[in-house]
Amino acid sequence: MSTLTLRGVRKSFGLLEVLHNVDLELEDGGFLVLLGPSGCGKSTLLSIIAGLEPASGGDVLIGERVVNDVHPKDRNIAMVFQSYALYPTMTVERNMGFGLEMRGVPTAERDGKVLDAARLLQVEHLLARKPGQLSGGQRQRVAMGRAIVRDPELFLFDEPLSNLDAKLRVEMRTEIKRLHDRLGTTVVYVTHDQVEAMTLGTRVAVMREGVIQQLADPQTIYDRPANMFVAGFIGSPAMNFISGVLEAGPGGPAFVYEAGRLRLSLPEPAMPRGVAMGRPVILGTRPEHLTLGSGSAARLSGTIDVVEPTGPDTMVVAMIGGQPVTARLPPRVALRPGEPVELAVDTSALNFFDPESGERL
Amino acid sequence: MMAQATRSRSKLFWDVASYALLLLLAFICIAPIVWTFLTSIKFEADIVTREMHYIPPRVTFENYVRLWNQSSYPVLVLNSLVVTSVTVLICLFTGTIASYAFSRFQFRGRTELMLGYLVVRMFPAVLMIIPLFIVMRQVGLLDSTIGLAIAYTSFLLPLFVWMLKGFFDAAPKELESAARIDGTTRLGAMFRIVIPIARNGLLATCVFVAIAAWNEFLFALMLTTSQGSRTWPVGLQLMVGEFQLPWGMLAAGGMISILPVVVLFAIVQRAMVAGITAGAVKG
Ligand SMILES: Nc1ncnc2c1ncn2[C@@H]1O[C@H](COP(=O)(O)OP(=O)(O)OP(=O)(O)O)[C@@H](O)[C@H]1O
Ligand SMILES: [Mg+2]
Repeated sequence: MSTLTLRGVRKSFGLLEVLHNVDLELEDGGFLVLLGPSGCGKSTLLSIIAGLEPASGGDVLIGERVVNDVHPKDRNIAMVFQSYALYPTMTVERNMGFGLEMRGVPTAERDGKVLDAARLLQVEHLLARKPGQLSGGQRQRVAMGRAIVRDPELFLFDEPLSNLDAKLRVEMRTEIKRLHDRLGTTVVYVTHDQVEAMTLGTRVAVMREGVIQQLADPQTIYDRPANMFVAGFIGSPAMNFISGVLEAGPGGPAFVYEAGRLRLSLPEPAMPRGVAMGRPVILGTRPEHLTLGSGSAARLSGTIDVVEPTGPDTMVVAMIGGQPVTARLPPRVALRPGEPVELAVDTSALNFFDPESGERL
Repeated sequence: MMAQATRSRSKLFWDVASYALLLLLAFICIAPIVWTFLTSIKFEADIVTREMHYIPPRVTFENYVRLWNQSSYPVLVLNSLVVTSVTVLICLFTGTIASYAFSRFQFRGRTELMLGYLVVRMFPAVLMIIPLFIVMRQVGLLDSTIGLAIAYTSFLLPLFVWMLKGFFDAAPKELESAARIDGTTRLGAMFRIVIPIARNGLLATCVFVAIAAWNEFLFALMLTTSQGSRTWPVGLQLMVGEFQLPWGMLAAGGMISILPVVVLFAIVQRAMVAGITAGAVKG
């Protein structure tokens, strides 16, 4: 059974159309991450799911029920906002219990539930305080507590970690994952942080300008991106793109680049299916699929531009066919800028894109 | 070392200069009040004298007693209280909801309406007063405290709405979204979440309106004619002719009249300052 279904959801603000025909389905207990750059319509979509904004068209279903005209309070959802949106005039306890209070839950029962949620999130010592007296991380916990207390069918998170510092963000990310494993409630989670998307999501929807580019599990999104936008958005450092032409040469098929002067021999299985020879393509390869070595048949040749040690790896940027290509190499490689370099390519993990449309071939 | 010394010396200079200026301003503000007070506790004979007596040679509260017992002053003050309260109440009930709507909803004619509210404030009162007089006479509200309160509302409500809108704008919209998901209606979110946050601002706005209504003279002079609805600023002015020039009683009237304002300020001062300076509401 699916908890959330969107069918052809559209949204316009005046003449500006910010969501075009969004379709998606999320299974019970799933964790859907809406990922995309700023302004692509993630928050708007979340508001439509919550019922805070009416959609301009299409249907929203929660469970089996069409909720287009259902008031937010009757949708059985809970939301955590980027700014946490804690009520500044109320104590933490009242903040967390406010949803139950509005639903007429008896005080004793309410207190019990608030205390349980507070224990779960380790904020029980803060119950008497006002939000203004809490640190950012504590506010974040309280905001999650307020959502949990209600025990809804669906959680909505709008960039809940973006106001935290880097270390706390990693901690809370783990915490959210633990909570989801434990509670099993369905989640829709908005972020523009690709690491959050990869680590938390069971499904990831990559959005751009109001259109879902790809909806899949994180590994598929990473390994087989649907287009160059998704490929470039996920992964750090980003996927390398080299433009060239596919050719059937004497020694088998090859990817020819740098105006036909250099070639990368490709074994048959690495070739994209149904693509004509002589066709211009863009080859995409992730930095970790490049290794140092001249032994391999499939290799790229170029000149080293920058060497960036990061500790566990050294990122080496080489100029290949006039384009910068980053390789994730082991630490302490003895390379210097200006030297020529040969990078062996893992041909089992290549991506080819159409130069015009950017779509995967 | 040298630079530091120079800097601290110039800082000292500016400190002294700003204190001097502030003291001067405070003196300009307070001196008339002190002078009025001193006059109000003098005997009539000590007020107009050949030589100036800054400090009263003899102290008496005769002026206050006479003002209270022998003139219509208590009625005037009561009328002022009624007019002021009614004005504030009308503003509070209609203005709060109006400015919430202006702050939160996009509707047709919103900008024009807001502008209209502003334009009302720009007309000189003299221009408004004749039409208002005619309208009031036609509907039979001339010379009544309620009529005067409605007249005050006509130019104080825009002020109220504009001021309060600023405070509402400062309350994050996400709070209401959260409240609506938590189970309140829009109106419920306004009363339970937004108004408590904007409480100080609301208080400040009410005080501004109250003081403006309390001190208003021109409309009161034109729209009231009898003892039954006259307010204190008009009554005080009329005393000038009735009792020749009763300086002592006038001063006493002035002191009594500013008393409510001073008390009001003393009570709400802290909240008001907090309200006015609350640019952002921390969540
Ligand atoms: N009330 C509104 N009126 C007009 N345009 C709006 C409104 N709300 C959002 N938009 C526009 O819709 C687009 C999507 O906004 P949205 O807030 O959904 O982006 P987002 O993906 O959440 O971005 P971010 O990551 O910055 O939060 C933006 O171009 C924004 O300017
Ligand atoms: Mg957003």
